[in-house]
Amino acid sequence: MNHQDVVAQIIDIVTPLAEGRVAVIGEDTELTGQLGLDSLKVMDLVVAVEDQFDLSVPINALAEVKTVGDLALLIQKCAGEDA
Amino acid sequence: MKENPRLQAVQAVRQELASLGIDPFGVQIDRILSPTEGLIDGRPTILAGTNNYLGMTFDPGCIAAARNALETEGTGTTGSRMANGSYAGHRELELELARFYGKRDAIVFSTGYQANLGMISALAGPGDTVMIDADSHASIYDGCKLAGANTIRFRHNDPADLAKRMRRLGAEAGDALIVVEGVYSMLGDRAPLREFVNVKQEFGATLLVDEAHSMGVLGEKGRGVAEEAGVLADVDYVVGTFSKSLGNTGGFCVGDSTDLDVLRYASRPYVFTASLAPATIAATRQALRTLEGADDLRQRLRDNAERLHAGLAALGFQLGAPANAVVAVLVGDKLEALRFWDHLLKNGVYVNLMVPPATPGNESLLRCSVSAAHTPAQIDAICAAFGSWAGAQA
Repeated sequence: MNHQDVVAQIIDIVTPLAEGRVAVIGEDTELTGQLGLDSLKVMDLVVAVEDQFDLSVPINALAEVKTVGDLALLIQKCAGEDA
Repeated sequence: MKENPRLQAVQAVRQELASLGIDPFGVQIDRILSPTEGLIDGRPTILAGTNNYLGMTFDPGCIAAARNALETEGTGTTGSRMANGSYAGHRELELELARFYGKRDAIVFSTGYQANLGMISALAGPGDTVMIDADSHASIYDGCKLAGANTIRFRHNDPADLAKRMRRLGAEAGDALIVVEGVYSMLGDRAPLREFVNVKQEFGATLLVDEAHSMGVLGEKGRGVAEEAGVLADVDYVVGTFSKSLGNTGGFCVGDSTDLDVLRYASRPYVFTASLAPATIAATRQALRTLEGADDLRQRLRDNAERLHAGLAALGFQLGAPANAVVAVLVGDKLEALRFWDHLLKNGVYVNLMVPPATPGNESLLRCSVSAAHTPAQIDAICAAFGSWAGAQA
């Protein structure tokens, strides 16, 4: 799974959840700090990416996720473990 | 001393509520009059948010048992069972719970919250996987955190989604712990337990069911959703509480596994806390005896639940689930829910205000819990208070 592809797909998913709070979302954009996602929105995001990539993301691993790029790396890790 | 930044979000909510002059999370019942009535702000108030499903808090037999234990065994145990020793009543209650459920053994915990913490953190650890329903109670989430296990959520009440996620685990699926609740406390909806049991059996996993809101309420003998669905023998661990249908405080787990013999010694929430006071144990044992033969109470509870559910539905309210002891009115907007809740209280009805993130689907709820001790007139008064909201806004 290509990292930039994963980042691009996450940006597609997270854009409507961010409700226009950040004009340009990139790999370094923070999910809570900049996009303002609350805990419920973060869980909506997790469910959406789980469906998109057909994998399960352990919620205990989310504590280390701050940015779009962090989430992409976690998804790649989960995909590797599931393969 | 500077303010703790971690408390700023909570402080902001408190200030928002204070500006409205409403404090839904700090209600004081100045005097409790019965299982269903209290004095709040000087007003006689119908209590419809207590989880006192069978009205057991004022049961004369339970009060007599507690009084006798208080006078003969003292006020407290002053320590944990592992360090200070158990009183005979602790173990007798465990054996009685095991017999009630037809299971091999039981462990009593000091609260229902600790029962989930204690069971999940003793059954799973780092490297293990726990599969939990997305709408699980905080005690289940916190138990997973204490365990340090990989925690995977599946869609609420969705056995197919659980099965899909179990398949992704591959060979490790058989070692997973699945945790569901019999009845979900916010909306009062029931788990499709037979289907969850099928998934558990397909993968050879372990299933723990929290019956906090269904013990004493559902099933022919009050053994919960597992009994109602005919799968009690297939559930590995049933967790429950004494603080709802049994009218007291405490929690428990029953099961057939021989692991229970040693599990308590590996359970930090069991080991490092004071055990239940003798009066609590004695009253709970009496409440369990009463509950076993309480077919009439369960029927009255069902009648009251159906009366409230039908009354609120007739008023046009959207309700969270089919008739059950928990009847949740979906309000949507948080501010409207807050004002509606305050209106009910000022009209002599206390219910629970539930707002996100504690609620599913970003929904604000006015949650009623029905008791067998409510009279039909009280149920009608609750409906009338709800019905007066539309006029109050005009």
